[in-house]
Amino acid sequence: MSRRLRDTARAYLFVSPWLISLAVFTAYPMLASFYFSLTRYTVIQPPAWIGLENFQVMFAKDELFWLAVWNTLYYTVVSVPLQMLVALLLATLLNHSTRGIGFYRTAFYLPSLVPAVVTTLLWMLILDPRAGLANAALETLGLPKLGWMHSATWSKPSLILISLWVGVGQPMLIFLAGLKDTPQSLLEAATIDGANRWQRYWRVVIPLLTPTIFFNLLITLIASFQVFTTAFIATATATGATAAGPLNSMLVYMVHLYRQGFRYASMGYASAMAVVLFLALVLLTLLVVRSSRSWVHYEGAPPR
Amino acid sequence: MKDRLVHNSISRRHFLQIAGLALGTATLAACAPAAAPAAAPAAAGEQTTLSWWNGFSTPTVQEIVPQIIGDFEARHPNIRIEYELSGGPPGGGDLVEIMLSRIAAGNPPDTITLWDAPSQYGALGALTPIDELMGQAELATPDSFYENVLNTCKWQGQTYGLPASAAGAAMFFNTDRFTERGIPMTRADFPTTWADLRALSDELTTRENGELTEIGFMPPWDATWLYPVWSKLNGGQIFDAANSVYTVNSPENLGWVESWASWIDQAYGGDFEKLNILGNWGSSYPHDNSAYYNGLSSIKADGSWIMTDVDFPFQWEVAPLPYGPSGTGTASGFWPNWFAQPKGGTHPNEAFLFIEHFCTKGWEIWYRAIPDTPAWRGASRDVVTQALIDKVGEERALELHRFFLDALEYAAPMWDSPINNFASDTLQSAVTAVLGKAKTVQEALDEAQALIQAKLEETLQSA
Repeated sequence: MSRRLRDTARAYLFVSPWLISLAVFTAYPMLASFYFSLTRYTVIQPPAWIGLENFQVMFAKDELFWLAVWNTLYYTVVSVPLQMLVALLLATLLNHSTRGIGFYRTAFYLPSLVPAVVTTLLWMLILDPRAGLANAALETLGLPKLGWMHSATWSKPSLILISLWVGVGQPMLIFLAGLKDTPQSLLEAATIDGANRWQRYWRVVIPLLTPTIFFNLLITLIASFQVFTTAFIATATATGATAAGPLNSMLVYMVHLYRQGFRYASMGYASAMAVVLFLALVLLTLLVVRSSRSWVHYEGAPPR
Repeated sequence: MKDRLVHNSISRRHFLQIAGLALGTATLAACAPAAAPAAAPAAAGEQTTLSWWNGFSTPTVQEIVPQIIGDFEARHPNIRIEYELSGGPPGGGDLVEIMLSRIAAGNPPDTITLWDAPSQYGALGALTPIDELMGQAELATPDSFYENVLNTCKWQGQTYGLPASAAGAAMFFNTDRFTERGIPMTRADFPTTWADLRALSDELTTRENGELTEIGFMPPWDATWLYPVWSKLNGGQIFDAANSVYTVNSPENLGWVESWASWIDQAYGGDFEKLNILGNWGSSYPHDNSAYYNGLSSIKADGSWIMTDVDFPFQWEVAPLPYGPSGTGTASGFWPNWFAQPKGGTHPNEAFLFIEHFCTKGWEIWYRAIPDTPAWRGASRDVVTQALIDKVGEERALELHRFFLDALEYAAPMWDSPINNFASDTLQSAVTAVLGKAKTVQEALDEAQALIQAKLEETLQSA
């Protein structure tokens, strides 16, 4: 064996755990779901080829598919900007060098470390319309009680509230790292030029933070389309194990997909839903990446 | 240095070749089913180990299940049961998901406890039919179970499991509250028709400043397991198993859902959302959050298990479910636990002995702890749950035991559809859409019928 071949083999040996894991746990399931999406498949029986029938049913006959799309879009459109804004605000607050700041940083990040199932169950108690803290607080303030998860109107805002609590820690930490990376020299130069605190933040910090905003936006966007645990646990707890909230108001895309695959054993249809979600996310990611050319500023990048 | 890098770099083609090889090897490894040993009975004297998967983990389970298994192993010294009481399959995960994966991979457990009807999994091809074994059985013969309960295990004439229990449904009412309101009530006096139940409920319903403060009875819209019973009470049925047809939008079912909608509209103001804020009408769990437990309602349709699961702070009684204007008499419902043999199990004969034991003699041991009514006709009419005796005394406990046992004779057909989960979810969506005023009764049930029948036909085609 030549030395070159030996080196090559050694290189592959070192990367093989990752390659095998990629092949078995990512590439194979992805390719398989593309194939299964064109079949009727119940896991037990061999898949039977039905062409595009799953997609025809999905787009033309399954009313709940469109409801799930609407619920997910509602969730994404409200939760992503909210999560980004709250994460940025918290990161800005935690960027100050105050006494005990380490404690606050830990405290605000802590909810992200608690399993989503536990956090959701805790919030279900808080939002219980009869005995929950949230309605007790509203009553104390003389405001009417809300149905929260038991109301078709309030169920999605409740879900967004829980997801905010669960999901804000991660983007907050990344924003904090971005803020810490802001060159002091630029801020000092802006101060010398007469910029006040707001102008320094808006004109210097935010433009420098746009690569971080871009990264957080992509990650949060993809995660919001794939929201599952919170919605699944919340609906199971609030309205019985089989329901999806009042009038299916919490039937988000992944919950509908899960029900098709694992509750109704329609794995072919569930795979078709996964393929549609994958394609939608690819398209959305491309759009965001494309738009980033006009609003993301990289230090050292050549002027456009 | 540059040359060295060039020499040591991997060509794109080479990379793809090796990556493709790795992918192919891994894919083949993942797809290859484990070799399934031939299903042959163990030779005389040979020790057989059976695996049993279950979703149980409560303290009662930890105490009682080993007794049942010990009893079985004593009767069959050549069979040993391997099991965990961790609330899921060995290694964790969802019991059914893992079971289906293991069947597909060719290495399923020998036996499993199911909380969804075997008819569904039988239609999927996931379970072993046991008719031949039942024909030769000592205890679990085809006619030894309540007919409608055993039907939950059947699909296209074959039996895919055994029911261990059939916890019954009844009307529970708070006798203390009735007495306080000057309407003393016994089982014999309890309404037998929906019209009389409605009149009684109206008598018990109170308001303060126009706001509801207490109600008699809330139609059990979120107890989907009782929908087939409500349908039968009005002379209808949801699924006609004999002809494999759904009849969701039959006149009887339209009448049933219409009666619930008008009841909620006329008696309780019709604001479905507000009613849901007012009380937890359906679930009895958690107990202190239940409207019936809190005295917010005085009558509730529920399962026999609440007799020991809940410590009611009042005296209560049970009565048969009243029937509707198109019905001819009462009907009851049941919620079983099932035992089955996943397809591909290695010891089907021994596995049958185990599930037979659990669903017959073994369940008598279980029933002494929890009032999950036995589905086996051979169960003693005199074995009573100790926890129920502790609560209500031996004589009344025995009377309640026989009430629920007798109710299985007039149980509605239920849990017998190959698409029970889909139908149940779709029908619940339809009913809540009506009560939430999103659809009319006719629209909601017509749509549900079309969806459910289409799903059934798809299942029939692929079976």
